[in-house]
Amino acid sequence: MKLALLELRRRPWRFAPAVIALVLLTGLLLTLGGLLDGLYNGFTGALRAQPGALLTYASDANLSVVRSRIDAATIAQVERVPGVEQVGGLGTVLLGAEVPGQATEASVALFGYQRAPGGVPAPPEHAGQVYADTSLKAYGVKEGNTLLLGPQRYPVSVVGWVSDTDFLLQGGLWGTVETWREVLGSARPDQVLASGTFQVLTVSTTAGADPARVAAAIDAATGGKTQTVTRSFAVDSLPGITQQRSTFNAIIDTTFFVAALVVALFFVLLTIERVGIYAVFKAIGASSGQLFAQVVLQAVVIAVVSFMVGALLALAVGSLIPPQVPLQFSASRALQVAVGLVVMSTLGSAVSLRRVVRIDPATAIS
Amino acid sequence: MLLASREIRRAPVRFGLLAGAVGLLIFLVFFQQTLLSSLLNSFTGALQNQSGTVLVYSSEARNNLEASVLSPDIVDKVAAVPGVGQAGPLGAATMTVLAQGQQIDVAVIGAEPGKPGQPTQLISGRPATAPGEGVASSETKSFAIGDAVTTAAGGSPVTIVGLTAQSQFNVQPSLFVTFDTFTALRKAANPDATMVLPSAVAVIPAPGVSPKALADSIDAAVPQLAALTRSEAVAGAPGVSSTQGSFALLLTLAVVVVALVTGFFFLILTVQKTAALTLLRAVGAPASYLVRGLIQQVVLVLGVALLVAVGLLLTAAAAVNTGLPLTIDPRALVVSTVVVVVLSLLGVAFSVWRVLRIDPFQAVGRPGLGGIE
Amino acid sequence: MGHHREAALKLDNVRKVYRSGDAETVAVDRASLEVGPAEIVALVGPSGSGKTTLLSISGGLLSPSGGRVVVAGDDISGYDPKRLTRFRRENVGFVFQSVNLVPFLTARENLLVVADFSRRDKKKSKARADQLLAELGLAERAGNLPRQLSGGERQRVAVGRAFMNQPDLVLIDEPTSALDTKLGEQVMELIVTEVRARGTAAVIVTHDMRMTHFADRTLTIVDGILGDPATS
Repeated sequence: MKLALLELRRRPWRFAPAVIALVLLTGLLLTLGGLLDGLYNGFTGALRAQPGALLTYASDANLSVVRSRIDAATIAQVERVPGVEQVGGLGTVLLGAEVPGQATEASVALFGYQRAPGGVPAPPEHAGQVYADTSLKAYGVKEGNTLLLGPQRYPVSVVGWVSDTDFLLQGGLWGTVETWREVLGSARPDQVLASGTFQVLTVSTTAGADPARVAAAIDAATGGKTQTVTRSFAVDSLPGITQQRSTFNAIIDTTFFVAALVVALFFVLLTIERVGIYAVFKAIGASSGQLFAQVVLQAVVIAVVSFMVGALLALAVGSLIPPQVPLQFSASRALQVAVGLVVMSTLGSAVSLRRVVRIDPATAIS
Repeated sequence: MLLASREIRRAPVRFGLLAGAVGLLIFLVFFQQTLLSSLLNSFTGALQNQSGTVLVYSSEARNNLEASVLSPDIVDKVAAVPGVGQAGPLGAATMTVLAQGQQIDVAVIGAEPGKPGQPTQLISGRPATAPGEGVASSETKSFAIGDAVTTAAGGSPVTIVGLTAQSQFNVQPSLFVTFDTFTALRKAANPDATMVLPSAVAVIPAPGVSPKALADSIDAAVPQLAALTRSEAVAGAPGVSSTQGSFALLLTLAVVVVALVTGFFFLILTVQKTAALTLLRAVGAPASYLVRGLIQQVVLVLGVALLVAVGLLLTAAAAVNTGLPLTIDPRALVVSTVVVVVLSLLGVAFSVWRVLRIDPFQAVGRPGLGGIE
Repeated sequence: MGHHREAALKLDNVRKVYRSGDAETVAVDRASLEVGPAEIVALVGPSGSGKTTLLSISGGLLSPSGGRVVVAGDDISGYDPKRLTRFRRENVGFVFQSVNLVPFLTARENLLVVADFSRRDKKKSKARADQLLAELGLAERAGNLPRQLSGGERQRVAVGRAFMNQPDLVLIDEPTSALDTKLGEQVMELIVTEVRARGTAAVIVTHDMRMTHFADRTLTIVDGILGDPATS
């Protein structure tokens, strides 16, 4: 017979205020986390999917894909560097796409690629064909649609789907290199690149080679015209990524702390109310440790129950949010929040420890 | 007031903890608000700070200034629309520049001198009037008046003649230059380019014409354009519109939690005092007296809590490094404060109801028999 | 009765002094007494006489300022609070004046709480609890919450709780103060029956002289000094 659990079951309303607060806090935390994850994935999908350990940019581009230019001669130099197994060119253009039957345009990032990124098939057979990221379904895109890109309405047709390949919150479209060059010329005549020039290179290293060394070797071989970094470094250098992450994490951490505070205050006040009965328990031989264990157990159960209800709340909220909003719930984030909530709840309840210890059993006898 | 203040004086720790806890909760709302609005501001500050109250993009740009491209004759077509006071081309592009020995990305914004698109508020120096001059935003502290800034690709340097604040664009510092300088910089960055086109037209309406009305007439008059008021452009910018609704939701959740928790804390305090309150009622204290005392305590605690919250916010703004300049918006904070206070008082209403419900007769009942309550 | 065991309780010159600032209050002044292994002793005195303090010291709820306290052969005078907790858990039972049942536990569960803390065998404890409840005439009410029981029934549950850990000594504080005479007599009878049936010793503190006929011996205490009414 567990005293703590019996009290929870027999007197649930006593704990309702703490549970309600924690449910709302859970909803807040999951939504914050989901927004952060959605923004992150939507910004970085295309880069994270790239094959190979390294990405090579022009050194004067400051790791911006859009402003980087690498010409054919430099590419040839990169290919010859020892430790480099395969090199692929990648180019992109950001523009709007008219979707048949839809009033608003979708924001897309059209990629021309030589080496297929993870989850993306080899480049389509014909020019003008693209694979579309599933995020574009929220804008009404369907397989077989012909999308009209840019101010000159260049047509491309959607022949298949890929997922998690968005770039800078714009839907990923993956087509041949020729398609990309033509769209670039059509939509951005002031950004046209010469044939053979790409924006970035994806570089795979040979087995056993140290990517950091190969990166340095590449930049040396091109005479400093390139800047080669690991893929994860490139992802983190995308504009706004680190700021978004630190902003959201600051809010998330503060919210966790508030959860601990809520639990702490709740249990302090609860302990004050229970002083009489705790004195009796101590009189009949319960140790402070046993009593405190009950408190901790209640805090943990409250955290778990609140998390489950809060998760349902977050899912409900998520379903009401329009699909264009980059909100993505994931199991790992949910687990993180659950564990964090239990830990904070336990820490919060620990604040009552001193008060429990100080209760004098002699006060049981008036 | 006597009873209320005596009680607080007798148990300063308890009320101090309560005020501190509520203060921390209110701080959560403030902090979230500040961070989120700073994040949003870092995307669109430059748009807000330039003089054109109507911005005209290409229709397929989806409110994205950097995705918008217009042909040069569009500017004249827009200028010809009735109701237009002044119109000028606006060029926007992100470039890598060398400033104070460091390579940083800046959003270069070009506008013709005397035409809309100039920064409206400078914190020092003067606007850029001649080619080769520029006004930089000061957030990253990478620029100082008199600096010569060159793009990584080469080209003639730009001399900084003025500084602005709250003018970032897409989380980057901005550099306001003349349109000619803008064109030259773009050509230097991409020699392959066939021409340099403006991104948008910045427009100031004629006197008596509202920006919204003008935007609508421009839309109607010239095809393939999307004209927006400045506030619409700011609200609709990429990186903003998709997250603003979520931010509003997050803030709402936070405010509700704070109000609930505050109300709950006061409820607990009231419940603990039930015996004393009952006794007071039994000896003739009117219910309104007790309720007034409770409200006074709540107001006092909230007042202290607000001081705590503001103190924490100032500390956090100085200490937290999110890579963003944190701008505290007093107006928004006041709004949040009012909402939190009103909701907290509502939460406390339940405690008030309990106080009113106390039956003085209970005081003369037999003492707790056979149980602990 | 008639076991040759050691005394259930032996107090030897026990003193309890409270200090506040410069003032000193002597709650118990050199009290000595011995309670046989199956003896029932009544301790009578007006309020403020120190009888509750003496009871608390005897049960290991308070440590004496001076003197020795020996319960069933264990000298608990110098025990630290942790050891005293264990001592109370295993060796003594209390019946409190204000009953003090846990409001959200049934009668049976209120008895089982004791077993919870001493980590006894669950099955044995359940059997013991049910047996005690039966002996106290509460078999039908075992699943009721305290608010569903009458005052006398609650008192009987408290008595049952005192016996759950098979104590050497049961300490009872003003068991009849909240009950009318008839009910009070019934409860006292029950207590005495249980105490005798188990061969336990008991010290009953009361201000009600009419209850003293239940005890084997009556002692008086006034201003912290123990005396025998027969001799004073």
